[in-house]
Amino acid sequence: MPDPLLSVKGLEAWYGESHVLHGVALEVRAGELVTVVGRNGAGKTTTMKSIMGMVRPRTGSVKFSGVETIGLPSYKIARLGIALCPEERGIFASLDVAENLVLPPKVRDGGLTNEQVFDLFPNLRERLRSQGTKLSGGEQQMLAIGRILRTGARLLLLDEPTEGLAPVIVQQIGNSIRKLKAEGFTILLVEQNLRFAGTVADRHYVMERGRIVDEIPNAALQGSMEKVRQYLGV
Amino acid sequence: MRHAILALAIVASATAARADFTGKSIKIGVLNDQSGLYKDLAGPGSVMAAKMAAEEFGNKIGDTPIEIISADHQNKPDVGSAIARQWYDVDGVDVIVDVPTSSVALAIAQITKEKNKVFLASGPAASDLTGPKCSPNTVHWTYDTYALAHTTGKAEVDAGGKTWFFLTADYAFGAALERDTTAVVKEAGGTIVGGVKHPLNTTDFSSFLLQAQSSKAQVIGLANAGGDTINSIKAAHEFGIVKGGQKLAGLLVFVTDVHALGLETAQGLLLSESFYWDRDAKTRAWSKKWSERMAGQEPSMVQAGVYAAVLHYLKALRALKSDADGKAVVDQMKKLSTDDPLFGKGTIRPDGRKMHPMYLYEVKAPSESKGAWDLYKLIKEFPADQAFRPLDKGECPLVTGAAPAPAK
Amino acid sequence: MLFAVPVQALFGQLLIGLINGSFYALLSLGLAIIFGLLNVVNFAHGALYMLGAFVAWFLSEKAGVGYWGALVLAPLAVGIFGAIAERLFLRRLAGLDPLYGLLLTFGLALILQGLFSNWFGSSGMPYEMPERLTGGRALGFMFLPNYRIWVIGVSLVICFGTWAVIERTRLGSWLRAATENAALVSAFGINVPRMITITYALGVALAAFAGVLAAPIYRVSPQMGENLIIVVFAVVVVGGMGSILGSIVTGFSLGILEGLTKVFYPEASNTVIFVVMALVLLVRPAGLFGKQA
Repeated sequence: MPDPLLSVKGLEAWYGESHVLHGVALEVRAGELVTVVGRNGAGKTTTMKSIMGMVRPRTGSVKFSGVETIGLPSYKIARLGIALCPEERGIFASLDVAENLVLPPKVRDGGLTNEQVFDLFPNLRERLRSQGTKLSGGEQQMLAIGRILRTGARLLLLDEPTEGLAPVIVQQIGNSIRKLKAEGFTILLVEQNLRFAGTVADRHYVMERGRIVDEIPNAALQGSMEKVRQYLGV
Repeated sequence: MRHAILALAIVASATAARADFTGKSIKIGVLNDQSGLYKDLAGPGSVMAAKMAAEEFGNKIGDTPIEIISADHQNKPDVGSAIARQWYDVDGVDVIVDVPTSSVALAIAQITKEKNKVFLASGPAASDLTGPKCSPNTVHWTYDTYALAHTTGKAEVDAGGKTWFFLTADYAFGAALERDTTAVVKEAGGTIVGGVKHPLNTTDFSSFLLQAQSSKAQVIGLANAGGDTINSIKAAHEFGIVKGGQKLAGLLVFVTDVHALGLETAQGLLLSESFYWDRDAKTRAWSKKWSERMAGQEPSMVQAGVYAAVLHYLKALRALKSDADGKAVVDQMKKLSTDDPLFGKGTIRPDGRKMHPMYLYEVKAPSESKGAWDLYKLIKEFPADQAFRPLDKGECPLVTGAAPAPAK
Repeated sequence: MLFAVPVQALFGQLLIGLINGSFYALLSLGLAIIFGLLNVVNFAHGALYMLGAFVAWFLSEKAGVGYWGALVLAPLAVGIFGAIAERLFLRRLAGLDPLYGLLLTFGLALILQGLFSNWFGSSGMPYEMPERLTGGRALGFMFLPNYRIWVIGVSLVICFGTWAVIERTRLGSWLRAATENAALVSAFGINVPRMITITYALGVALAAFAGVLAAPIYRVSPQMGENLIIVVFAVVVVGGMGSILGSIVTGFSLGILEGLTKVFYPEASNTVIFVVMALVLLVRPAGLFGKQA
């Protein structure tokens, strides 16, 4: 078995005084799509941000393709080839769509071209000169995903990309994510929508109170639905 | 016990026999601008001048040491008053010296009179200090607005400048200087065609100078000082005011200002001083000593005035053997005729005015100057009685015998 | 009073206001950029403006480098000084209340002004105007010195050049994005700490540039920044904290307004800008060009 592309062990993180992550451990192998599920406040978004180095202090180990990143500033972690699509989407109001799209610099070869991004998200092509935050929620999400595809990052961290979107848009984004997986992107996905997660993922991690408490292969998801629903409190 | 009391009495009487100095020392407080636009013309240089005066006495009179302290009044009357009260009430200061901002000086004169201490004004210009606001505790040493008006102002009027426009610093000093100069102009049959009052510490004068220019006045009178005068003259030079045929009258220009302006810009300017370092052998000798301790600068007339005033004050103390009664000290100063290397022989009038000649200088052209501080050539000497206001014209209650103006 | 002032004189005053506005705009622009990205109210701005003028004076006095060289070298030197100060001090305050940055830069300003005041006194140093910019032209209603024309021209070019870099280039888009969300921009692989250093250096270099521009017409003196900076802060507040275009437009307009005040009521010329500031704060607390919270 090859080394995992991303390997997180004993990750602890704090927001100021409050200790948020307690020894998070997870792995993502190259080409895999793995989800992290859990209740609100379980620490999913914090896990994503900690992997990016955006939460300080953090301790433990976060290895990306064999490189320990725990001591690196976040811009150096990004340059190794990890890209984040944040939960709040992070579209910049003072930039137009085109500027938002080209904002993240290329960190490696092999990223999508602008044309490929527009093929994936045709809506963006028409709105290039609009102010970033004037887009609809779905379009903003497409922009947030689209802009990190250009950079050549191999691991995408997608934080709840379907949150608050209409079912038809969720479907469109789901299709895009499947396409990305088919193209060879490795994806770590935070998701609350189990039905959606079940259609795209290889494995699922369950988070509770800042810890990974369970790991469920996608094949076993249907059989474990009762247990998972309890975890999620739905 | 009895021995102890006896011993104490002997010591006390012995002390009394020697001299009656309040406190452990004769404390001289130099109060001036230590950080702002008047720092160079007064500032630490005045403190040095006071020290040099004390050194002439070996830093003590009899057995009582002379101590010199200093503070920054920031050109604000409230700040200056607070320091003066602290000095007189708590720190045992006997005399306040310098105070180069007229509005502050008027406040200090009032406080000094209340506390019956001594105020030796060197820096301030307002002639009110020996006029309606005169005090038995104040000696106004170096110069005043009346003298400036009757030297520089008069020279400009005599040279044919009959119409005037004033750029006036908007506080007590500017108002006094404008008033005294206006009197000179009108006396000679001239007219005032306009003026602007500008805030203290203005950077850009071009706007005011344009107004002066469009007034078509023959003379633009600068009733301001220090940095304000420098900026006015620089802007006037740049905007071609002098080339356009109007004359600038720097009613109060200090040697430090001319040095900062550079001769290229300042040449031809008429100005009056009661002291110039290069006037004669005595002033040069003293200035050399001062300059060696002040990183090669040359002293202004304000700093020279501090030296001479402190020197004369200490002479009065030596004669009087007491500094307890401020008014008595000033009376003693008035009784002794003054004599020092910087201002020569002179007197102090009943209204507190120190009498000495004023000198009208012209700023040299760069080609005439032999060094960084070789700045002036003498045009005319005004004897004291021509330069300063006649005693009976000042409306000083000490002279007229009227009841002093009530304190505000 | 209004009718007592001939229209032609008014033109002159407007032009002069524009000149002062040039300095306000250059300085408030730097402040706005710094505030936008660092969230630091840079009280050292006036002292660094003064430093720029002094570097120019040093260059001419000790190294024989004239005005044109100083116009490049002084902003460079002060920019490097700013970069060092940012690295050593300001960086440690990132994330804390902006008050700390304000106190730090205020302290820095006091130290700089104190040192220079101690070394050079208060009267200041003369600085020669470059030969090519001396003289002036008669406009009919006034005599306009060539140097002032140069000041207006070069300030407009620098201000709008800076604006264009920020609004129209990729580097500028990074800057704007980092102003909104520095953590995310950093997570995209952009070296935000270095960008902050460069931005601070650029902002203070603009101040130094203004200082060199001012050197030949005002005095090169330790106090030269002290009064100016308070006015410039008012300009930034009126324009809207952090607004680039706002600070440029407001800088020039308040300069003109101040010029007009000097005609109609000179005693108020020091205060008119603060009156405007108070009014703007009452009506539009975020400033004329700021985003309303």
